[in-house]
Formats: sequence, structure tokens, C-alpha cells
Amino acid sequence: MSTAAPKSWTGRVRERAVGALPPEKLLPDTQPAYVTSAIYLFGVLSLASLVVIIASGSILALKGPGWWHFTGVGHFFNSIHLWAVELFFFFMVVHLWGKYWMAAWRGGRARVWMTGAVIFLVAIPCALTGYVSQQNFDAQWISTQAKDAMNSAGIGAFFNLLNFGQMYSYHVLLLPLAVVAIVVAHILLVRKHGVVPPFEIKGRS
Amino acid sequence: MAAIFNLNHHASYAHWHFFQMSVSNIIVIVLMLAVFGLAIALRLPGAPKPGPNP
Repeated sequence: MSTAAPKSWTGRVRERAVGALPPEKLLPDTQPAYVTSAIYLFGVLSLASLVVIIASGSILALKGPGWWHFTGVGHFFNSIHLWAVELFFFFMVVHLWGKYWMAAWRGGRARVWMTGAVIFLVAIPCALTGYVSQQNFDAQWISTQAKDAMNSAGIGAFFNLLNFGQMYSYHVLLLPLAVVAIVVAHILLVRKHGVVPPFEIKGRS
Repeated sequence: MAAIFNLNHHASYAHWHFFQMSVSNIIVIVLMLAVFGLAIALRLPGAPKPGPNP
């Protein structure tokens, strides 16, 4: 069996990927003892909320505004989508607080911390474009008020809150795609570097 | 939620000098702080007791 480097790009990508994330690191079946603390649960709770958001949002997108405004089942899925977003941000903020006080960027984990922070920043406009995509008076009110903020910031010409098609595209495609892509990168980086350990307690023998 | 609480009125706000925030937002923030504190203070069921470092 030859040990020479593969010539094709697929072979090189495979070798690099397996080198960075061997199967036992990518899908571990054990974690360090400190991960049994409840504060380590909030990352996976955020992830579970995101799965519910994507699933309920996909159903809403398939059925349309007439369904989510005027049928009982539509109201139900609309509420599931809203409350999953509320929980997503709730869990994500507690996760962020926990990781901040653990200084989770230690041990070469700067990219893990940075991707987490970027997810939070990208998720905010992802949620806010949802408010203006509801197709009701609430959406009209929010968009006509918030457009002034965009105009005063100088971005109203290409990010127009009164343009439903544009806001809906941002909400159901562009921003969720960005959030999911960075979440995948974040999880792979956590797998690569491992969960950040707690600080040593000084004076404990 | 609307079945439990009457939501058919204007939002209530806490206002003190420059600080103004809806009561619902304050409740969510207090809940987040409480959950954060409990997550640090409480051990998960079945988790080993923290012992001295080896």
C-alpha cells in the first residue's frame, strides 16, 4: 500500500479531514467527567431548539400565510416556531454566559468562541426578519418603524424592510443558511478541540 | 399562553430615570439569570460528587 500523498483534490481533502477529525473525535462516545455539570447542557439545548425552528419553519414555508393565520393547525405551528425561537435565544444566552465565565477560548479554542459569537450575531437579524415576514398588521407596523433605523444607518437602499420579498428571502433562506453553516463549523471545531475544561481551583489538594 | 394570561392589553413597562423595559423582557432576563445560577449550583442526577484533585 502506497503512503504517497494522493494526487486528486478529493483524496487530499479526505486525508486532511480525517487527520483533523478522526472518527473517534468526530463521534465520541465518552466525555470528560466535568461535562456532567448542567451548565454544559445549554449548547445542545440551543441546537435542539434550532432543529425545531428549522422543521416548523419549513412547514410554515410549505403551507403559506393563509394557513398560518387562519387555521388552527397553522396557528399551532406558528406558535411552535415562535416559542422555539424564544427558547433558542434563551438557551444560547445562558450558553454564552457559561462559556464567557469559563473563558472558553482557552487552549487554542479561539475559533470555537468566535464562531459561537458570530452565530449569535447572525441569528438576531434572522429572527428580526421573521417579525416583518408575518404578513399581518404587526409586520407592517414593525417594518414601517424599523425602516427609519435602516435608512439612518445608510443601508436602507439595499436592505429595505418594506420589501416583503426581500425580507422573506433573508428570513427563510439566506440568514438560516448562514446560521446553520456556522453552527456546523462551530460543532466541528468543538469536536476537534474538545469541550473546554473548568479552571483549576487554587488551594484544593 | 393567551389562555392562561390575558394578553389583550398594552404591554406593562418598568420605568426608572433612563431605564425603561417591558415587564415581560425583565421576567425573561430574571429567568435566564436564575437558570444560569441553578445550572452552576445544582449537580445533574447521577453525576459524581466533586472530589479533591488527584
